[in-house]
Amino acid sequence: MKIIVLIFLLLPLISGIAALIFRNKRFAEYITFISSAVTLAISIYYLLFLLHFHSITFLNNAIIIDKFSAYIILLVAVVYFLSSMYSISYMRSAVKNEGLTDNEFFRYYLLINLFALTMLVAPILNNMALYLIDIELTTVTSSFLVITEITEKSIEAAWKYIVIVSSGISIALLGTVLFYLAGNIHGIHHGVYSMISSLDWTVLSAHAAFLNKDLVKIAFVLIVIGLGTKVGLAPMHTWLPDAHSEAPAPISTMLSASLLNTAMYGIMRYFNIAGKNLGFNYPQEIMIIIGLFTIFIGVMGIINQKTTKRLFAYSSIEHMGIISLGFGLGGIFGTFGALFQMLAHSLSKPIMFYGSGNLLHKYKTKDIKAIKGVIYTMPKTAFLYVAGALTLVGAPPSAVFIGEFMILLESFKRSDYLISIILIILLISAFIAILAKINSMIFGVSKDESIYDINNLKITRGDFGIASLMPMAVPLILTIFLGLYIPSPLKSFLNGIVRIIIK
Amino acid sequence: MLGLVLPVYLNVTIDLLTAFILLLSFVMLSSKWISFYIHAYGIQSFLIFILTLILGIETHSVDLYLVALLTLIVRCLIVPYMLLNMMKKFNIKEEINLSIKIPASIITGLVLTVFGYFLIFKLIHNFVPDIIINSAAIALSLVFIGFFMIISRYTTITQILGLLVIENGIFLFSVILTPTLPLIVELVVLFDILVTVVAMLILSMIMKIKTGSFSTGMLNRLVG
Repeated sequence: MKIIVLIFLLLPLISGIAALIFRNKRFAEYITFISSAVTLAISIYYLLFLLHFHSITFLNNAIIIDKFSAYIILLVAVVYFLSSMYSISYMRSAVKNEGLTDNEFFRYYLLINLFALTMLVAPILNNMALYLIDIELTTVTSSFLVITEITEKSIEAAWKYIVIVSSGISIALLGTVLFYLAGNIHGIHHGVYSMISSLDWTVLSAHAAFLNKDLVKIAFVLIVIGLGTKVGLAPMHTWLPDAHSEAPAPISTMLSASLLNTAMYGIMRYFNIAGKNLGFNYPQEIMIIIGLFTIFIGVMGIINQKTTKRLFAYSSIEHMGIISLGFGLGGIFGTFGALFQMLAHSLSKPIMFYGSGNLLHKYKTKDIKAIKGVIYTMPKTAFLYVAGALTLVGAPPSAVFIGEFMILLESFKRSDYLISIILIILLISAFIAILAKINSMIFGVSKDESIYDINNLKITRGDFGIASLMPMAVPLILTIFLGLYIPSPLKSFLNGIVRIIIK
Repeated sequence: MLGLVLPVYLNVTIDLLTAFILLLSFVMLSSKWISFYIHAYGIQSFLIFILTLILGIETHSVDLYLVALLTLIVRCLIVPYMLLNMMKKFNIKEEINLSIKIPASIITGLVLTVFGYFLIFKLIHNFVPDIIINSAAIALSLVFIGFFMIISRYTTITQILGLLVIENGIFLFSVILTPTLPLIVELVVLFDILVTVVAMLILSMIMKIKTGSFSTGMLNRLVG
């Protein structure tokens, strides 16, 4: 087991450095692809292993992989795999059409591996502070990926991203110090002299009752604000649409579908400790309020959008709101639904961002109004794009539908009908807005006969290669399959995670 | 530190040091020239180093010695050196664009300090001596002032310095309230500061080359 964890941690690092050293384009592409495939295989192995065991521990409990960590690792690994496959097509096209230099190309392949590594490390760390620092490192690596193609816009996006998220992480660090202080006060609880000097999730979670309640209250709020900046919870979401829209499509996908989940994982670890200390009502109310507000902001953003990638960035904000609402509603259904929604989001979002990448390379624009008649120019991409959009907005049968439906069920179960009504209205608005925009892009025909071609690019018919279509097709099949049938091992695994969070 | 009874001369020293640390953050708020900011930050870090060293000597903690040494190297020497070096390289003499003028900034800083004091008083007055409340309040107000610096100054370098002031505040907070914080945490935080500052410097250099300025006022293309 030790060997496997070691391979798991070293492989992305080695492949990234090798890609930079050997300076061979095909080699860089394939070693990244192989490394991501092996990572995915190992993450599935963890999943199978943890079906029967409680957790994998190393280095005197510094590294703990329990069911929740393994699940997040799976989500990261899936997107890493898909993105490394899509990068082959996307970067070749960028080199050919947009004059990407060799240096930028190899820097991209170094950083994509490092970015994946930092995200894979985050869930297995048992120490809160180390986890936060690792999240900060994901910011640093991904902000350089945002400026893969150096333009004024991408620099602006990267700068906003690094400043806003770094200050967010500082707030979370302050919250973590307060958590430590809450356990470190000399106090007497129930006649027992107690002092907890630890920053480990496991220790704090086991001794949560002994923490100072006032400090935990404010510390949890600071954590939600701080890590919420990274998750993209409103009103701290302002960096997210910029960074997602300016990054290359494979990176937008990794940012949206795996990084946000990695940060949400941290909030839920603190949620568990705060809940055990204060009773689950307090953290749940915070998550519900911030979740509903985030969904609202996300949907308003979707309705106002004029460019493709920003549209899906706001859709990510909306989904993160739904996930935090699910965790906030709690219970079996709510938590299970939120966890399932994480997986569903990680499968649906890649289809849309990769599709937008294909459109960007064909039409040389992100403007929704300038893209018309994709069904004639790129029939296969168009088919996958429309199907992906349907799964993303939650049309059955899709995994998103199941997740959102379970969260709705929980709100009915708690008889919080106001929440149900608001959620249904917002979801329907998002449904209409996204499908209307997709419809105008895919099936719209411009009036004059020089078709679909605002920039006079002389667009030729035809899709890009198989490497641009497979990463869209695989998650589409998976998400529809999960919408029809949830395999029982996955169900019992998710139930195990529910018990970890709201035990 | 919590529950520790300190001799009187130490109380006075700690009070003085933290007061000077606060004063230096006001120097930053009241200045228009970038080099003032960097020097004020360096001196502030040096005072924090002395404070950490004193606490280390008083509590006989080897960990704190090590943390103090690394603070000296990273916060007082490397980071200001990198910033000054970059200023020299690009020959920056430009004034900072302020969105809030200097008198208003100082008043806001005062309000934030008072707010920090009441917040920390309400949180921890039950279980710590007064001297710690004062120092912790100053640490918290450093965090607030850092945020205020980020939002009120339109230059990349001052935004980096704002983040560094926030980190200084958190570091001071953790040293004063929880000196038993595991060493590994402090080490990793220092490493993280270094990486973040280097990354931000590279980004602002790219920005300077591409747009010809360090001003963030022109970063207004991405909206909606």
